[in-house]
Amino acid sequence: MIKSKFQLPLVFTLLILGFFVFVPMISAFEYSIRTPAKGGYGWDSYLWAIREEEFLYYIIRSTWLAGVTVLITLFVLVPTLTWIHLSNSKVRGLIDGLSLLPLVIPVVAFAVGAQISFPEFVKNTVLELPFLYFVLALPYAYRALDIGLSAIPLKTITEAARSAGANWLRTITSVIIPVIRGSVMATIALTFALSLGEFTLTVLLHWDTFPTWVTYVAQENILGAIAISMMSLILPFLLLTLITLFVPERSTQGRK
Amino acid sequence: MSSKSLTLNNISKRFGNVTALDNFNLEVGVGELVALLGPSGCGKTTALRVVAGLEHQDKGTVLVAEKNISDVPAHKRNMGMVFQAYSLFPNLTVEENVAFGLQMRKVNKSVRLKKAHQLLDLVGLDSQSKRFTHQLSGGQQQRVALARALAFEPEILLLDEPLSALDAQVRVNLREEIRRLQLSLGTTTLFVTHDQEEAMAISDRVGVMNQGVLEQIDTPDALYNKPTSSFVAGFVGTMNRIPAQISDGMVEIFGSKVVALKRGNESGQVVALIRPESISVIANSSQPNAKVLTRSFMGASSNIICQTGDGTIVQSLMTSASTGELHPGSSVQLRVLSSEVLVANV
Repeated sequence: MIKSKFQLPLVFTLLILGFFVFVPMISAFEYSIRTPAKGGYGWDSYLWAIREEEFLYYIIRSTWLAGVTVLITLFVLVPTLTWIHLSNSKVRGLIDGLSLLPLVIPVVAFAVGAQISFPEFVKNTVLELPFLYFVLALPYAYRALDIGLSAIPLKTITEAARSAGANWLRTITSVIIPVIRGSVMATIALTFALSLGEFTLTVLLHWDTFPTWVTYVAQENILGAIAISMMSLILPFLLLTLITLFVPERSTQGRK
Repeated sequence: MSSKSLTLNNISKRFGNVTALDNFNLEVGVGELVALLGPSGCGKTTALRVVAGLEHQDKGTVLVAEKNISDVPAHKRNMGMVFQAYSLFPNLTVEENVAFGLQMRKVNKSVRLKKAHQLLDLVGLDSQSKRFTHQLSGGQQQRVALARALAFEPEILLLDEPLSALDAQVRVNLREEIRRLQLSLGTTTLFVTHDQEEAMAISDRVGVMNQGVLEQIDTPDALYNKPTSSFVAGFVGTMNRIPAQISDGMVEIFGSKVVALKRGNESGQVVALIRPESISVIANSSQPNAKVLTRSFMGASSNIICQTGDGTIVQSLMTSASTGELHPGSSVQLRVLSSEVLVANV
């Protein structure tokens, strides 16, 4: 009886995922391998995409922008959240609230505001994007790290590390980050995915990245655009797999 | 031996309106184990944290071997610390935990692992060195924490209630082990606890704290037998507080006169402080002055609770062999066995 009760929600979840995620993806794939000129199926669109010089250019550009966003996120949020948790400060409520702001501010308003107010030297560099992506990813990244830090005896292990001779930097890099590894991975994945796919802000600020280029391509060659999107799925997948492999899972297995 | 002496001079520390330490002074000699004992909120943990550098005093100085380290950050103080619980790094194995301090001191890997194994061997856990900390029992985890704190040969070892989260039996074993290790390594140690039995059992000296000040610091013997304040007398061991009259330096208790050791009021009403083992309960007396309420058998000794005519509850500890006739309800005579008693004002 109990078993069947637990299966029902799972079935619902899979049905919804299947209908709204997998069915469109499979259909898109099926559509992308059609060859309207010859009839039937083939890899024409994919071959076209690979030959397109800008494909690699934009995918690399978007990837490094996403990478920089991840670095900014970790560099800013891990020490800040550690401090907030350790100090038991009253600002915690305020910062919790502030971190949600990007969810309620419309991206259009945000982008226009940025365009009007930012000085030229900021608007002239594509590096403004990672900082803005960081803000957009903040509600998710903040919560992922917050949950990780709440689940560990942060104060004691921090003090244990410091009394054993670790300065703050070593405490964060050698102890805190490895201990909340799961949360850090989630933060990296969320921030990376969000940055890689961000469209509205990028377009409004007149920058070209992979998503904006794909949209541009789609206006002329819809099959090519789908093929490009399909291939672009592989890159974050590979990167995330690599990150997971390079930071080996250790003590979390079998933890009571 | 890298052990050093520790001196705290006039340390004061406040948290908001609460005074945790108030002109606190303490000296711990080289290789000595001193316990700080006191009720919760007395400032003992704050004192330890000030020594560790995890808390900064509002005023006063901390000296290690006469050198002022008041403004040295925690990670440069070279002090090993064992916390209440859950302080091991869950992402590291047992040996990596123990070697952590040496790793921070940039000792090369083979040397630090060798040292870690030496320490694990000392605490009897060398066979567990490859395990992760969550696979160990509470007692084993604290042993690892102890090994970790000692691995980098700290100048001072700081123990912050390291036994309080453990089961009774493990607690007794581990405290003996801490003492054995501390003696063999000769590490100057400051040990904070609220458990007086623990403090008395393994310390060279015990400091009793109350409201941010050190009430008395002495050997366990002296603390028990010659408390200098009524707080210490009441806090350390069990103490009967018996109302009595004082005149000319003598107090009258249970009908006989005894020398008053520390005088409060010169005359009039005072409270005599008497240990249970210093009161004898005599059955079948011709001059009964109390009634037995309960008798608890505890093996070699028995605990007798009596009530005197004026309602005072008196506790006596006697060898079980001599308490056979003391039944609840029976009339008995109480007598003070010592020739001197401590006296406090009412």
